[in-house]
Amino acid sequence: MLRRDFVKTLSGAGAAAVGASLAGPAEAQWIKRRPKVEIGEVARVRVDVLTETSWFDNTRLKQNIVAYGGAGTNQYSIPWDWDNAGGYSALITVTTLEGETRKILLDTGWNTEWMDYIYRRNGVDRMLAEGEIDFLVISHWHLDHAWGLASALKHNPDIKIIAPGTLYPEDRTLLGGGRLTARSHDGDDVVICQNDHPHTGPLVLTEEAGENDSGIYRPMPGMAIRLFDVPILLRVRGENVLYFNVKDHGIVTVTGCCHPGLLNLFAYARRNFEDARPYGCYGGLHLTVFESWDPRFDDIIRGIEYFGIEKIACNHCTGWLFAEKAAAAGLPIVRGTDAFRDYPKVSTVAGSSNVFLTNGDAVTFG
Amino acid sequence: MTTLVDDGAGPVAGGPHTTAQLRGVAIGLANLAALAGITWLVWYVLLHPNGVLAFYTPMYGFSLVATLLAVIVFMSRIAEGWPFSAWPLAWPIRGAVMTAVALGAVYGLVHGLFWGGLGRVAVTYFSPYAIIAEGGVGAEFFNAREIASTAIVYFDAAFLVVALVWSAGVGRWPWHRVPVGVRVWSKTATVVLLSGLLFLVAFHPHVAHLFYPAQSMAGVTPWWRELSMTSSAFFNLGVLLCVVMAVVLSELTWEGEPWGRFDRQGGAAAKGVTTLLGSALIGLWFLYLLWQLMNALWYEPFVGGQRLDGPHFRYLHAGEVAGFVILSAYILKVCFGNGPGRGSLAMRALVRTALILAGAVAMWFFYYSPLATLALGKVPGIASPDDTSLVVTLLFLCVVLIQAEFFGRGPRAAATVDRPGR
Repeated sequence: MLRRDFVKTLSGAGAAAVGASLAGPAEAQWIKRRPKVEIGEVARVRVDVLTETSWFDNTRLKQNIVAYGGAGTNQYSIPWDWDNAGGYSALITVTTLEGETRKILLDTGWNTEWMDYIYRRNGVDRMLAEGEIDFLVISHWHLDHAWGLASALKHNPDIKIIAPGTLYPEDRTLLGGGRLTARSHDGDDVVICQNDHPHTGPLVLTEEAGENDSGIYRPMPGMAIRLFDVPILLRVRGENVLYFNVKDHGIVTVTGCCHPGLLNLFAYARRNFEDARPYGCYGGLHLTVFESWDPRFDDIIRGIEYFGIEKIACNHCTGWLFAEKAAAAGLPIVRGTDAFRDYPKVSTVAGSSNVFLTNGDAVTFG
Repeated sequence: MTTLVDDGAGPVAGGPHTTAQLRGVAIGLANLAALAGITWLVWYVLLHPNGVLAFYTPMYGFSLVATLLAVIVFMSRIAEGWPFSAWPLAWPIRGAVMTAVALGAVYGLVHGLFWGGLGRVAVTYFSPYAIIAEGGVGAEFFNAREIASTAIVYFDAAFLVVALVWSAGVGRWPWHRVPVGVRVWSKTATVVLLSGLLFLVAFHPHVAHLFYPAQSMAGVTPWWRELSMTSSAFFNLGVLLCVVMAVVLSELTWEGEPWGRFDRQGGAAAKGVTTLLGSALIGLWFLYLLWQLMNALWYEPFVGGQRLDGPHFRYLHAGEVAGFVILSAYILKVCFGNGPGRGSLAMRALVRTALILAGAVAMWFFYYSPLATLALGKVPGIASPDDTSLVVTLLFLCVVLIQAEFFGRGPRAAATVDRPGR
C-alpha cells in the first residue's frame, strides 16, 4: 500500500471526510509563497577540501559533549579538548559564464593552529592577504566552522563576511575580537576560543527573509545563499547554504553541515528557483556523524534516488557509514583520494573505501 | 486511593455560586502552578542540558520519563493501587511511599530488568553493556545507551497503549469476581504479553535497523515503509499516541462515552472491542487532520525529507500534539475538576474538549517559543532531531498523575469539596 492509498484509507475511515473539509486541501494557501526567482548561471564550480576533519577522535568529542550536558548544551560551556580540535573549511572557485574566476572561502575551522597550517599549506593565507578571495561565508556558528576566525582575519581583517544572523552574543564577541572561556568540572576557566584580529570589513548577517523578501541573497550571478533557520545541536541556530546553478547541469548545493537536510535544500530550490534541477552537492550532510544508524537514513538513500542527484561529494559530519552505505546502494558518491594520509593528523574513523572527499581532495561541478 | 475515572472533584465548593466557582478556579490555578514548578525543578535537576544531571541526551532521559509514566499507569490502572490502597496510611504518607516505590521501580526496570537482565540474556539491544560487548561499528557507550534507551522507550509506549486501552476498555473483566491480588497478577500478565507482541510488531523492526549492518535476520525491514513514506517507527509511535489520546478523551473528558453504552448492552468484552476500534478510528482521524494541517503549514513531506519535510517528523509531531492534548485533559481533570459540571453530557463534553484543545494549542506555542529556551534550555525552533516535546510533556503528566493517583489529589482535594453525581 502506498502512502496515498494509506491517506485514502484514513479518509475512508469514518469521519475523515469531515476532517478533509475542515483542514482544506493539501496544498492550502497558508504557506508563504514567493514568486520563483531566477538566480542566473555559472559555468563551473570547483570545491577544494581545505580541511573537513573538524575533530580527529569521535569518542573524545562525544565524551566532551556528554560530560557537559549532551546535544542540547551550549557549545561555549564545554572546555573542549584542544588537541582533538581541527576544523572545517573549503575554498570554492567559481567560473562565471564570462570566463572569470571568483573565489569564496567557506568557514574558518576551529583550532587556530590547525587552521594556520591548513591555510599555509593551501596558499589561502596568501590569497586572503592579496585580496584574491571575494568574501568569506560562515555556514553556521558551530565551533568547528567559526572558532578559527582568527586564522583567516589575521591575513585580511577587512574581508567581507556573510554569516547567519542567528548568532549569539558569544559569536559576536569572537567576531569583534575577544577571548572566551568555559569552566571545567575541576573549576578551571579554560580558554576555548580566541580572536585577536577583530573583523573590520563589511558584515552581512543573513535572515530567512533574504534580500527584498526573496528568501535568498545573491552575491553573484548564478549563486544564491539562503539561511535556513533551523534548531541545531549545541544550542546553535540557522545555517547558510550556498546554491550554484551550473549551466547545462543544474543546482549544486555547498554546505558546512547541511543541518537543514540535503533533500530539503533541493526541495527548496525546486519550489523557489526557476528551472531548478538537482545536480550535485558538496559538504557535510550531518547524518551518521557519530557512526550510529537510523532507519530514516535509509529513507534518505531512497529519496536521493528519487531526486536524481548526479554527483554527491560528501565528507565531515556525513559519517563514513552513510557514505559507504549510499555507495553500496549505487548512489553517485564522488570518491576521494589518499591525499589525506599525507596530513599530520588523520581522523580515527577514516575508512579505506575513499567514499569521503577528504583533506587535499577537490571536486568540480560542470 | 483515588482513581481519576471514578470521581469528579469539581471546581465548585458547595454550590453554583460565582464566588465559589472563582475560588475553585483560583485553587486549580494555584495547583497547576505548583505542579508546573515541580515539573520544572525535576526537569532542571534530571534533564536540562545545562542542569545538574543532564540526562536529556535525549534518549536516556526520555527512557527514564517514559518508564516512570509506565510505572505510574501500572500502579494506578493495572494494579489499582494494590497493595498500597489497603494500608491505613494518611494521604501524604501513602503518596510519598508510592512515589518512592515508583522511582525505585524505574531504576530497577531500566538498569536492572533491561540493562542488566533482558539485554544480557535475551535481546542485546536492551542493554548498552551488551551492545558494547558485541562490538561493531559505533559500539561505544553513548551510542549504545541511546539505542538501548530507544528500545526501552518503545517498549514503554507499547505498554502504555495496551494498559490504557485494556483499563478503559474491559477494566477488571474477566477477573472482576476474584480477589484483588489474583486480578492484579492476571491483568499484569495479560497486559505485558500483549505489550510484548505490540512492541515486536510496531517497534522491533526499527530497533533492529539501528545497527550497521542492519540486524535483518532478527527484525524485518520496517513493514510500514511504503505505507508511511518512512522506515522510522515514529509512524507507529504517532499513530498509537493519537489512539491513546482518543482513549483518554473518552474516559476522562466524555465520561466514558460513547463506549460505555456497549458495556451496558453487551458486557465488558463488547466495550473493550468498541473502545479499541472506536479509539483507533478517532485517533486515525485526528492524525489525518494534523497531517493535512501540517501540509498546509509546511508543504507535503517526501521520502528522505528531514526536519519539517520528513514524514517521520510529521508522525512524531502528531504524537507530540496528542501528548499536549492528553496532558491538557489531565490538567483539566485534576486541577479544575474537569471544568463544567452542568448541562447535557454532549454539552459538557463539547466545552471540555474545546478547553482541552485550547490548552494543547497554548502548550504548543509555549514549547516552540523563546520562553521554552529560557525555561527548558532547548534551541528555539521546530523539528530539531535532538529534541522532542514528548519528554517534558510526559514528565509533566507524571507529576500530575502522581498527585492525582498517589496523593489522592491532595492537598487540592482538601481545599475543595467533591461534588457527587459526575
